[in-house]
Amino acid sequence: MTGADAPAAALRAAGLGFRYRARGGWALRDCGFTVPRGRITALVGRNGAGKSTLLHLAGGLLRPRTGEIRVLDAVPGTPEARARVALLTQDKPLYPRFTVADTLLMGRRLNTVWDQAAAEAVVREGRIGLDAHVGELSPGQRTRVALALALGKRPELLLLDEPMADLDPVVRGEIMAALMTEAAERGTSIVLSSHVLPELEQTCDWVLMLREGRVEISEDADTLREEHRLLTGRADLRGSLDGHTVVTERTAGRQLTALVRARGPVDGDWHVERPSLEAVLVAHLQAAGATAAAEEAAA
Amino acid sequence: MKGSLWLAWRQQRVLVGCAAALAVVACAIAAYSRSGMLDELRTGLFDTCEPGPLYCWPDGANGPLFLDITPLQYLGALNIALPVLIGVFWGAPLLGRDRELGTHRTVLAQGVSRGQWFASRYALAACCAVVLSGLLALLFRWWWEPAADHSYGLFWYETTALSGSGPRTVAGALFGLAAGTLAGLLARRVLAAMGWTLLVTAVVTLAVEWTHKARVFVPPHRYVSQGIAPKPPMGEKWSTGTYGLITATGRRDDVLSCPYPSGAELKACMARHGYVARFYEANPAGDWWSFQWTDTALLGGLALLLTLATVLLLRRRV
Repeated sequence: MTGADAPAAALRAAGLGFRYRARGGWALRDCGFTVPRGRITALVGRNGAGKSTLLHLAGGLLRPRTGEIRVLDAVPGTPEARARVALLTQDKPLYPRFTVADTLLMGRRLNTVWDQAAAEAVVREGRIGLDAHVGELSPGQRTRVALALALGKRPELLLLDEPMADLDPVVRGEIMAALMTEAAERGTSIVLSSHVLPELEQTCDWVLMLREGRVEISEDADTLREEHRLLTGRADLRGSLDGHTVVTERTAGRQLTALVRARGPVDGDWHVERPSLEAVLVAHLQAAGATAAAEEAAA
Repeated sequence: MKGSLWLAWRQQRVLVGCAAALAVVACAIAAYSRSGMLDELRTGLFDTCEPGPLYCWPDGANGPLFLDITPLQYLGALNIALPVLIGVFWGAPLLGRDRELGTHRTVLAQGVSRGQWFASRYALAACCAVVLSGLLALLFRWWWEPAADHSYGLFWYETTALSGSGPRTVAGALFGLAAGTLAGLLARRVLAAMGWTLLVTAVVTLAVEWTHKARVFVPPHRYVSQGIAPKPPMGEKWSTGTYGLITATGRRDDVLSCPYPSGAELKACMARHGYVARFYEANPAGDWWSFQWTDTALLGGLALLLTLATVLLLRRRV
């Protein structure tokens, strides 16, 4: 994978496994994937799928128990990786007694590269005073300051764990736009985890889906969109779907609705629709839940 | 490293300020009180006082003479409590505050490694602890000097003089810091870390005091006088309270077997029981340094051990 003609990877893992306690369950297991550089990656999965664990591993806050993970082909936590990767954790911890200016000064002091203008621009866009104390800011404003801290170091890879969770829809749009601009202008690779699928639809061009600690999907978003079909037809046409991957199916009376990953043209008298990326992702997340339930029932 | 030192300073500057203020106030009180002490001594009233532990009561005086050493004893008490104070208010929040807020994740996501994050803040705190405790220990020594080892002053073996000055004060401060830091790393909550630190440092401080009283590490010397010859004067020695009699075979009995201070009665009693000598046990004044060095080794060793534990746990816990 590290050969000269291998595509440069923003995030790469092989046999990656992690558990929080030596005897505990695996939070991540046998994860292998490659996210190319320059992509905006949606990291999706249900609660407890291992998204935050993966981002903490990539940010160097945790160390893998098995396998390896590389960010920009560097080992997370090394000085090289720290200088080029920014991580915004879910709780966005900041010093409450610091002013916003102090917080940005901390960024300047702790990083080798620092773009004060860029950091201040992110803060100012949120109409936050530089002399305000971080502890007095709203959660949304705090997120903005934390994001300014992450963007100020001019990272080549930006890891964001649930960055939008406590933002109102208007601010979400603004922040998404800011991230898009960053990616477009500077070629920054971004990996962001989110449960808000609709907003990932327009921005993300790579999907990394985790399911119970394993990688379910790591693919180009357009490929996913193009290869999935939402089929509606008579239930007795079910046989014609052999050879394709049926993600979810639902029978109502004699009518069958199925979301299918097509492996070539689909035969039969089906009403065919192109599902949205959101629908594809939801279907895969539901399928994950259904299989788990089935496995539990079987066990 | 420069950046993480800046952050360490930014987070600890209030504590550094408090420590500096404490040192200034202590110095001011010491200078004022010590000059008062010297004035008293210059009156000549104390010149007739004999060395030794007996109260000095010159003819015509209303009672025994004393210098005002209460503020000096307060400083000694402060020095003894220094491990607890530094541990609770400086050590416990050192890593505990970041752990509680989760801010170490933000810091570590910048260009700072775990090692730098820990080393810079611990180094700053340790330097301040050494400077503060060293200053207070020297201050005590200087202030104590005119009153040292006199019945109107403070003997070397009194708790505040024995444990409230010297190198063991510095070792104690470092021990408190190390204990608090480890507690902060393990407890994840500043308040819980403070509680644990208070418990551990207080217990260790009291245990060290007990080793002094029980002479665990610095055994007392036995002073023997043959027959009814007068015993060597106690003077500045720290008595264990053990007095006794020795037979020709070397057996030692309690002094109550012949409870007479001297004279014919004592002679008769000793002859009756076959005692050939009398003895008492005490630590000579030079043992101040022995107590100091054993304490310094004990507390310094504990500080080193706890720091090592913190460094080893840092990788797994943060």
